[in-house]
Amino acid sequence: MASLFKDPNKISAYRDKRFPGNQEEFEQTLLKSTTVYVGNMSFYTTEEQAYELFSRAGEIKKITMGLDKNTKTPCGFCFVMYYSREDTEDAVKYISGTILDDRPIRVDFDWGFQEGRQWGRGRSGGQVRDEYRTDYDPDILSNLLVYVVLNLSYEGGYGKLVQKEIEAQRQLVDYNAGSLGSFHPIMPPPQYGRRHERNQGYGGSRRHGRDFHHRKRYRDDDHRDDDRRAPEMSRRIPDHESRRDFDQDSRPEKNPRFRERGDSEEDDEGDHHRRRR
Amino acid sequence: MSSWRTLVLRIGEKCTEYGANIDFKDHLETCFGVVRRELEHSSDDILPFLLQCAEELPHKIPLYGTLVGLLNLENEEFVREVVEKTQTNLQDALYTGSCNKTRVLLRFLTALMCSKVLQPSSLIVVFETLLSSAATTVDEDKGNPSWQARADFYITCILSCLPWGGAELVEQVSEEIDRVLVGIEAYMSIRSHVSDTGLSAFEDFDVNDKSHGEKDFLEDLWSRIQDLSSSGWKLESVPRPHLSFEPQLVGGKAHDLAPINCPEQPDSPAAPSDISRGREKYEAELKYPQRIRRLNIFPASKLEDIKPIDRFVVEEYLLDVLFFLNGCRKEGASYMVGLPVPFRYEYLMAETIFSQLLLLPQPPFRPLYYTLVIIDLCKALPGAFPAVVAGAVRALFNKIADLDMECRTRLILWFAHHLSNFQFIWPWEEWAYVLELPKWAPQRVFVQEVLEREIRLSYWEKIKQSIIENAPTLEELLPPKGLPNFRYTAEDGRDETEHSLSVELKGMVKGRLASKEIISWIDENVLPTHGLDVTLRVVIQALLDIGSKSFTHLVTVLERYGQVISRLCNDQDKQVMLIDEVSYYWKNNTQMTAVAIDRMMGYRLISNLAIVRWVFSQSNANQFHISDRPWEILLNAVSKTYNRITDLRKEISFLKNDVLLAEKASSKAREELEVAESKITLMDGEPVVGENPGKMNRLRTRAEKSKQEEASTRESLEAKEALLARAINENEALFLALYKSFSNVLAEPLHDACVDGILQSSEKGDEMAIDPDDSSAMDLDTENGGSKKSHSNGKKGGDSYNMKENVQWCLTTLAYVKSITRRFASEIWPHAEKLDAEILTEDMHPLLRKAIYSGLRRPTTGP
Repeated sequence: MASLFKDPNKISAYRDKRFPGNQEEFEQTLLKSTTVYVGNMSFYTTEEQAYELFSRAGEIKKITMGLDKNTKTPCGFCFVMYYSREDTEDAVKYISGTILDDRPIRVDFDWGFQEGRQWGRGRSGGQVRDEYRTDYDPDILSNLLVYVVLNLSYEGGYGKLVQKEIEAQRQLVDYNAGSLGSFHPIMPPPQYGRRHERNQGYGGSRRHGRDFHHRKRYRDDDHRDDDRRAPEMSRRIPDHESRRDFDQDSRPEKNPRFRERGDSEEDDEGDHHRRRR
Repeated sequence: MSSWRTLVLRIGEKCTEYGANIDFKDHLETCFGVVRRELEHSSDDILPFLLQCAEELPHKIPLYGTLVGLLNLENEEFVREVVEKTQTNLQDALYTGSCNKTRVLLRFLTALMCSKVLQPSSLIVVFETLLSSAATTVDEDKGNPSWQARADFYITCILSCLPWGGAELVEQVSEEIDRVLVGIEAYMSIRSHVSDTGLSAFEDFDVNDKSHGEKDFLEDLWSRIQDLSSSGWKLESVPRPHLSFEPQLVGGKAHDLAPINCPEQPDSPAAPSDISRGREKYEAELKYPQRIRRLNIFPASKLEDIKPIDRFVVEEYLLDVLFFLNGCRKEGASYMVGLPVPFRYEYLMAETIFSQLLLLPQPPFRPLYYTLVIIDLCKALPGAFPAVVAGAVRALFNKIADLDMECRTRLILWFAHHLSNFQFIWPWEEWAYVLELPKWAPQRVFVQEVLEREIRLSYWEKIKQSIIENAPTLEELLPPKGLPNFRYTAEDGRDETEHSLSVELKGMVKGRLASKEIISWIDENVLPTHGLDVTLRVVIQALLDIGSKSFTHLVTVLERYGQVISRLCNDQDKQVMLIDEVSYYWKNNTQMTAVAIDRMMGYRLISNLAIVRWVFSQSNANQFHISDRPWEILLNAVSKTYNRITDLRKEISFLKNDVLLAEKASSKAREELEVAESKITLMDGEPVVGENPGKMNRLRTRAEKSKQEEASTRESLEAKEALLARAINENEALFLALYKSFSNVLAEPLHDACVDGILQSSEKGDEMAIDPDDSSAMDLDTENGGSKKSHSNGKKGGDSYNMKENVQWCLTTLAYVKSITRRFASEIWPHAEKLDAEILTEDMHPLLRKAIYSGLRRPTTGP
């Protein structure tokens, strides 16, 4: 429909350097992909908020937050994976450019998460976890590759366990082994060794000090003073108290939102779209 | 100098290509001047592009028609091709049932007729073909009246052309067009009135069908066209650029159109029954849906300047832009605000978009699309449109008790999403009065659910902030902060044994024990001593707590320890207990409850039947009229089941294709092998059968391999087909369970709440009905202090709400019966016989039967 105004070249305007294939394959992949990349999110937007918004385009299979490699906190992008291509297209068509959590987000097709494609993913690795399969086999759950989602790594405790597991997996399993494995290359490379040191350095950071799910509760004293927010919003928040809270509480933490670009080589890999654009 | 392409595309628009000039005549001259010169070299490009523009920007068809008329003076051959191509496209559209394309191409032919490109008599022949097909369809003996939807569509197409060319037809072929109109009149008299039951945005729970007095869509259009005819075919909304060129255009050659054919009538089923006819009618209406159902939410004063026929034309323009420019935000919005009409139409535009957002059974696109359109229009017309949108919201809010449940839910989702794009600013004080209403008052529930959805898109404090200044009391309607409710958090009152077990279990998870080890811990140390109830409670609470931090945490826990859960909850009873625990843990967070249950169903830890049972348990049923929470969970379960069936169907159709390909490849390989085998080759001087051994081996391997591939593709197809068959059986069980549950849960309350088959609305015994004049009397003016007025109106509406709780409960539940049935009607129809035998029995309450029938759009026969 309405091809009159569609730039036929648009889908190929960007090229992810890490994509294992040529330009044509890349475009083919984007045309079939059921994953979207979501950028320009607020660092404080939760998975649940994204879930609520993106489920309006269709049933969501999975959401994965992009994390800052140093702080292991969300850093403004995520991936949303749908079951169907139509839903994926609708997400790109209708959600890109709208507001989530006061920020205009961008939504693009992403090549990630395509199991069993020509660039050699493992034998339907991710498919095993494909939920509610009608050909469900009760053994499936037991056969699951124990795999790990990077998001967990921003937590201590349980997250830490899980991280170790990732490391273990990385030794054993090639990145091509499953949906999550295949996902690694475009995620911030996990810096497990360094993470620990960093944590020491940012010991006081509230993100690490508090349970993540309590985040919403504390959001009001999160920094609402982001200059980039809509000016009306800042005006609408008369809460000087919370601002002071923020100053005292969070100043020591390097605000990830103002992270300098090109901090390091890997930095750009964290957000492949930044590299691409 | 702009290219011919841009000039054709942008003709009639205020744009740089044409300077600041907006005179159609100048545009046409400029465009014609350029296209004429290009015709010689680029006619192969120009023709398809021109047709594409006419098809996708149909509000500019008169301009494109005139342009072709001018080109006709220059290059008859080119224009002959335009006419031929249009004919071919129209024929394709008719055969494939592409409604929008058919309608638009007919309009284009009409415009070509106006520009003297097409013989008027050719257009009449097309009309007569459509008319005759329609008349046959509705004929009881020769046709198949179940397909009236298609017949009505054909007539709609003819009538829709007349605003564009009625005057010209009457002038040139008055007898013929009269004959067509007489034919349409005859058609109108034999077709059946289309009842809106089940698809109207506003509920009518009266047992007597009130809609009889109202015109259906076609009757309404017919009367508008008759008005147009009696006013000399004059209207304001259709530009007539060809008139400026009339003296030249008459010199062009008028082309003929090859005849078109309508597709054959679908045969009636061999053994027609009520069900088979109902099913067929349902299918026909799905293929030829009604384009718009007017909401009539604005008072007449807002629209009175626009004549009925102009209203129709503007609606056509808007619906066309919405349809053809889907996905092109900027252009779509700018065409919508810049239609070629000499009057203002913001209210009409808002009403048209809302009518699409709320269209039943479903709009052409996802509600999300209309959300985006409304956002874009608010930005494009910041001075005018937001106030009109607010007016629409107020009008719908005032009628919320009557609004269909599906529409109400879409409205809630839309509204929260819309506000999230505009900093959550809304004059909540207007609605603060809902707090005085009982908990189950639809307006109150609406506000509560909008706030819930706002919070999901944002966060609690922010939404509180957004209401606190103007309507602090509404805080009462905010859901609790969405924190987990872990059973063993509080020190006092918790069961210490269970607490310590949960600590132990959490420790094991942290210690990275595998599922197997945890299962044996449960089997050896927990189950035998503490029994199932305690075990289940402890394990589920602990796992949920570990997975509580985010959606991904939850998913990870379920993936790692799903086995533990599935072992523990191995039958429906225990799955219901499991859902109870989820609901307990996330009692403060509806979203997480729904998501957790949804994921558990995804991993088949919970069956959809268990979810149905849980939703209809007493404590949930008690919430039906005061919260959307149980409904969201129920709808998720049904949708998920439906989605997987849809996926399977898709996979099967791909696999079928693969099988064909594999068959071809395999037979080709076999042939090649046979050919090679039949050859005689000289080997070592001796003639030998077959080609050289190396090649023979290759061919043999290939033939073998392709045969295997064919077999394995076929196998996977068979496997998927078996799965689909099973899934369809499961679906049948799901719907049977669902309707049984509805029937059980409603039986007594309906009996208690009904007098003479009618739900009694208040203590005084008034029938439940909202005065229809109420809405038209409402003043929706928002520009000059109107909000106060509307407040008082709302207040009035609020005061008049005097529904007893049990009656509202019945109304809400019945409304959900209808909306769920409608949403999944295509999956329910195949099981209609079974439903009739097992559910829709004699003793079913007539109101419940009515709700199911209207959801299915099934004609009611008998009582």
